[in-house]
Amino acid sequence: MPYQAPGEWVLLAYRVPREPSSPRIAIWRKLKRLGVAQVGDGLVALPADARTREHLDWLAEEVVEAGGSAMMWLARPATVAAERELAAGMTAARVAEYGKVLAEAAAGAELEPMARAALLRRLRAELRRIARRDYFPPPQRGEAQAAVAALASRARVESQEPA
Amino acid sequence: MRWVTRTAVHIDRAGCAWLIRRFIDAEARFVFVADPAETPTDASPFDMRGAELGHHGPDCSFETILRRRELDDPVLWKLAEIVHEADLDDEAFDAPEARGLDVIVRGLSMTCDDARILELTGPIFDGLYEYFRRGMLLGREPA
Repeated sequence: MPYQAPGEWVLLAYRVPREPSSPRIAIWRKLKRLGVAQVGDGLVALPADARTREHLDWLAEEVVEAGGSAMMWLARPATVAAERELAAGMTAARVAEYGKVLAEAAAGAELEPMARAALLRRLRAELRRIARRDYFPPPQRGEAQAAVAALASRARVESQEPA
Repeated sequence: MRWVTRTAVHIDRAGCAWLIRRFIDAEARFVFVADPAETPTDASPFDMRGAELGHHGPDCSFETILRRRELDDPVLWKLAEIVHEADLDDEAFDAPEARGLDVIVRGLSMTCDDARILELTGPIFDGLYEYFRRGMLLGREPA
């Protein structure tokens, strides 16, 4: 594989007061939703692009409004190995999420049509949510998508069969 | 009046610019800066960190402008839900229109500059406004 220099990452170094807890929890939820890599205590990272920079920028503002302190950095891991480790940690989290979708989709084949349609809607939304924070798509992404698509095509076939 | 925002306009800034021109300042002229330090002193900032008209708490800038300027038109609040979801995608509202609008503006940002994006998104927001206005009057989906 040709050598690829480490890419640019956006980092947010932040501190939020312990109390009151609700802004702290809101910030934590948003970070989780963005799928950040936890680099250290109060230090999170995402691969830098216009969207990730903007999201972390507003989060930094929210931290400051909550009485905390925040600073955004653009940086590169010093080695390719360090970057791979960062990416591997993020990918492992996504693999676990796709695994849950896959298992639920497989189990859904046995459901009656109404319940299966509801499950299909929920899993499609969940897949979209995961994909938004999936910066290094693993093969499990395609597998989870295929399992949800299979659930959908099963519903289509049944709706065309004579009762 | 001059208004300033960040360059590389996306949905929230496009929506805010439309809102400002349509409901706050018909003569609005827009300036785009890459760094907040370049903000002209005679221009009002929006959708920028540190600006009064920015994200606050759970609100995106479009919602902040509606609140601070006391615009209580329910059609604008419906558009605010769409802009919020297209911008933040946090499922605070049920706005299925948001995904399509987000993709349209992301695509435009790849082919057009900021001023052109505002030119193109203005009529889109005009249309959305009219669609939801009629929907509210009729109490059902307009034809």
